[in-house]
Amino acid sequence: MERFQYTRARTIPEAIGIGAQATTAQQGAPVRFLAGGTTLVDLMKLNVEHPTRLVDINHLALNAIEHMPDGGLRIGALVRNAALAHDATVMKDYRVLSEALLSGASAQLRNVATTGGNLLQRTRCMYFRNTAMACNKREPGSGCSAIAGDNRSLAILGTSPQCIATNPSDMNVALAALDATVQVQGSKGERTIPFRDFHLLPGDTPHRETVLEPGDLVTHVTLAAPRAGATSRYLKLRDRASYEFALASAAVIVEVSGGRFGNVSIAMGGIGTKPWRMTAAEQALAGAPVDEATIVRAAKLALADAKPQSENGFKVELAQRCLAHALRLATGMAAS
Amino acid sequence: MSAARGSNPVGAPETPKVLGGKLPRIDGPLKVTGRAVYTSDIALPGMLFAIPVRSTIARGRIVSIDANAARKLPGVKAVYHRGNIKAFFRTAPPKGFSGLIDEKRPPFEDDEVRYYGQYVAVAVAQTMEQAKAAADAVRVQYAAAAHNVGKQLGADKPMKVESERGDADKAFASAPVKVDQVYITPTEVHNPIELHATVASWEKGHVTLYETSQAILNHQDVLHQMLGVPVENVRVITHFLGSGFGGKLWPWTHSILAAGVAREVGAPVKLVVSRQSMFEAVGHRPRTQQHFRLGATPEGKLVSLSHEYLNQTSELDDYKEDCGEATPFMYSVPNLRVASALSRGNIGTPTAMRGPGAVPGLFAMESAMDELAIALKMDPIELRKRNEPTQDESNKLPFSSRHLLECMQVGAEKFGWAQRDPAVGAMKRDGLTIGWGVAACSWGAMRSDAQASVEITREGTAIVKTATQDVGTGTYTVLAIIVAEATGIAIDRVDVQLGDTRLPMGPISGGSWVTASVIPAVSNAARDAVKALLGMATSGPNPAFKGAKPEDLQLVDGRVKRKGEASSGVALGDVLARANVRSAIGHGKSATTMGGAESRKYSLHSYGAQFAEVTWHPQTARLRVSRFTSVIDAGRMLNPKPARNQIEGAVVMGIGMALLEESRYDQRYGAPINSNLADYMVSTNADAPPIDVTFLDYPDLVLNEMGARGVGEIGLAGTAAAITAAVYHATGVRVRELPVRIEDLLGA
Amino acid sequence: MRLTINGVPRDVPAGDHETLLAVIRERLQLTGTKEGCARGECGACTVLIDGRAAYSCLTLAAGCADSAVTTIEGLGRADALHPLQQAFIEQDALQCGFCTPGQLLAAAALIARTPRPSEDDVRVALSGNLCRCGTYPKLVRAVMQAAEMMRAEP
Repeated sequence: MERFQYTRARTIPEAIGIGAQATTAQQGAPVRFLAGGTTLVDLMKLNVEHPTRLVDINHLALNAIEHMPDGGLRIGALVRNAALAHDATVMKDYRVLSEALLSGASAQLRNVATTGGNLLQRTRCMYFRNTAMACNKREPGSGCSAIAGDNRSLAILGTSPQCIATNPSDMNVALAALDATVQVQGSKGERTIPFRDFHLLPGDTPHRETVLEPGDLVTHVTLAAPRAGATSRYLKLRDRASYEFALASAAVIVEVSGGRFGNVSIAMGGIGTKPWRMTAAEQALAGAPVDEATIVRAAKLALADAKPQSENGFKVELAQRCLAHALRLATGMAAS
Repeated sequence: MSAARGSNPVGAPETPKVLGGKLPRIDGPLKVTGRAVYTSDIALPGMLFAIPVRSTIARGRIVSIDANAARKLPGVKAVYHRGNIKAFFRTAPPKGFSGLIDEKRPPFEDDEVRYYGQYVAVAVAQTMEQAKAAADAVRVQYAAAAHNVGKQLGADKPMKVESERGDADKAFASAPVKVDQVYITPTEVHNPIELHATVASWEKGHVTLYETSQAILNHQDVLHQMLGVPVENVRVITHFLGSGFGGKLWPWTHSILAAGVAREVGAPVKLVVSRQSMFEAVGHRPRTQQHFRLGATPEGKLVSLSHEYLNQTSELDDYKEDCGEATPFMYSVPNLRVASALSRGNIGTPTAMRGPGAVPGLFAMESAMDELAIALKMDPIELRKRNEPTQDESNKLPFSSRHLLECMQVGAEKFGWAQRDPAVGAMKRDGLTIGWGVAACSWGAMRSDAQASVEITREGTAIVKTATQDVGTGTYTVLAIIVAEATGIAIDRVDVQLGDTRLPMGPISGGSWVTASVIPAVSNAARDAVKALLGMATSGPNPAFKGAKPEDLQLVDGRVKRKGEASSGVALGDVLARANVRSAIGHGKSATTMGGAESRKYSLHSYGAQFAEVTWHPQTARLRVSRFTSVIDAGRMLNPKPARNQIEGAVVMGIGMALLEESRYDQRYGAPINSNLADYMVSTNADAPPIDVTFLDYPDLVLNEMGARGVGEIGLAGTAAAITAAVYHATGVRVRELPVRIEDLLGA
Repeated sequence: MRLTINGVPRDVPAGDHETLLAVIRERLQLTGTKEGCARGECGACTVLIDGRAAYSCLTLAAGCADSAVTTIEGLGRADALHPLQQAFIEQDALQCGFCTPGQLLAAAALIARTPRPSEDDVRVALSGNLCRCGTYPKLVRAVMQAAEMMRAEP
């Protein structure tokens, strides 16, 4: 690991002040905020990231889960994944989030990884993580090794000729379905970013993954009040029974009344370059009868725009099945 | 543990009281408290750290190496490469189990790069981190040449026949029922959690190597040759090994480099291989491509068996994966042909991995047998029954001890095989489809040369010494048991010393031979020590039992007593004290079966039956192994507790082999691409189902006096075939190329 | 840097860039904590940080200045084994022993949070600790036994 200056921030303005000195908050940023470190320290050891300053934000007062007057939940950026997953309110009212968190990583990583850090989790594309190989996300303009390479685990939605890397987070998929908002403090003050706008598509700038600018500190993630009568589930499909990123995952929040779907929110993971919201499928479900035909039709529709690569064509069908089954689980059409 | 089954046909002695029990392993307390010292834990005064520079091409020539920037970094002592290090020698052709090395070209012998990750230089610094920074800063220029890391294997020479009887082609052509398929096993990597490591320290021309070695004596022999120093100047120590599975049997280039670098810098050097290099430069099980043709009568009698196979090897070395090892004797068939050839690629040299040859070979053969059973509409166990041989048909020798059918029968009872509905997808439980599969397995039973000493001390303790290793299989414990049994000394007063080339010659920890090889030697040494002690007790200047004959005496609970007398006897230490002798030392040895009388008179193998249950969730294509039954015929179990652990662990590895493991190469870079433990997946705890292990416990007295064979490997054999058979039963999809992936099953 | 390891505060001359694993093993010679992958993929380096299991290979030591770190050397003593250590020996929940310290600490964290774990709880909690020897079934039995022992004698 390259040497860096380590600073323990005592206040949010102090952290923001140091962060604002950087030229970018994206790949290769010279200043990085250190929370759980499970992504950052890993990438620093791999020489993928080499900040010269590390601002340890673990001691900022951002580790509370607060109930909001409107019935929503405000989650501090430093709330650990394990704490969030086991929070009584989250387990009861935001089951999809708890299930997503618990399906990710391992106990050790969930104990350490934070809400804010998980938002910013980096891709597990093997070429991004290997400095001997070309990667536009790591080194803009160097080329994408994955497109003609080992791309079984990579994205089929939101790809570009420059990058097909998957967003690896399970939490993000649940937050996308929940229409979470991300609260950020920066040198120009506070702002609230809708979740769908937080992550960027790779396009021609895959090294830019979020809208964050130098000095921006994610302080909270806010969830709206749970929808009355809605049920939510997270389903993750993978090769190994545990400790593996998703090949496909689905977060669904459904309302059902009179045998018909009401409002439905769907996001999927393991298949997109960012957490992928399935609006066409949501619209197709709304008002349709809760039955196998509807579900299968919606699942097909969800993947209509998929562009598979040489080795991940199976993800189209796998994702369809994943979504269909998540809907069965959420509607009680299947028990397991 | 299961009770001994069946009769005792050859009049074996009764199982002694310490044996066959459930003793905890004696190194347990050290291992659970973190006090067991492994190679990378060693720290010596003034020790430096070495990190190799890995080639980033798979084939070509090194044009230049620029280490100037690296040398100027803080803490850096030196950067070595071909141009500035004393050259290493090659080894002479091996003799027996010494001088063995799979990657024969010494490091830095030439400027040719033959595989990605080949070491081209090595940085030495005061800390590991400084050495890594220096290695990263070395600039190497290559003239790259076209490489081949392709998956499609092609023979480099015509197939060589390994075993042949009758006319397999002719019999196949006219056989009424046929199976004709190609089976593929991918490159698999041992991936013990302990990284390979060497700590090398020179003093006055003598080098001590703390090693991650499954074969310290061979390591000593290879290093003495490659370093060009007398054999007695090389000492190799492996007190605890974080497992190896064959990958740590023979030396790899990093060990030679560590020793060479330590010699250059004049200080001890530690070199720990990175997880990434574990996929490149310390061997792997090579990819195999096996063509099986089975011909049978409608009644299920085999009439023809042809097994032609290729395994991948490196450009420079002829590593052969002996997939045909079990083929000639497994079943009765009049017409058989086994032939093989190598296929070359720009990969690191392969090596033996747990159950080498038999494990991929039996995946293919047992898969073919399952397909034949389906073609015949016959129960797969019944098919095996109809083809059970009465002798080893490849050499017409009797089996020393073969109970394959009993393994099948016992397994079928324990598993509940009678409840099986053979129709694909017919069995359901809790919304899941259940698949059941069975496969037979076998592994050679062998014994190698071994020597041991046992010393009974004045303190009433016993010290047993032999230069073998405990790779986690429980060798420390089983030797303590043997000595306790033979000397009457309590097991916690037996000190077992292993893993040092200064000890009497012990066997390699490979081939599941340790138990069979070292137990006779230790047992003989213990008896020899007792004899010496009883001699002192009965004769000499001041014997404790004047006038008694040694045969009148016995050792009980640390004391010498007259047989049949109730007296408390004399403490061992007092017997030695009266004779004014420090200790009673005994020596023992055992001789190899390889080329020996037994191997000419008997076919020596262990057998087993593997039963797998998978659950299949059709909607999500989720497949899990939900239950496993393994029945093993591997002679007498001297210490069933660690033996059972070995089988369970092998089954867990087999689940990985069947469903998860594959080292993949990027075709453009020529590099193993998923070279880490997140992308090369091995089973996790959540992947392991309940595993029911039964030992038949028939002593194989041809092999040794205890009738014990090893169990390190056999549990992995047949496991993947049982699982893919179960996958077929559940899904109707026959996967012939491992691992079974979700995408293979989406069509089900 | 000041670190509290196994209840003992220590001043360690470590750089800010050093991982907790490197400091524990190389600076303090507490070699019971192992390195198997160096990137959070195997679990051999598991320690407890304020009672929670964490991978020390992905943790900067500098960040642990106000935390209590427990390594395998602090779990039990040779003459007074922790119930988990006892159960691991009795159930033979180890082979080569290399991953064992990490398994023990992951299990200790589980039992502290969930004194009455189900077998599935154990499997999930230990799935971040690879054991290539494959002792998983025995690990589950050992942790269940230890949890029972600890409930009986708190």
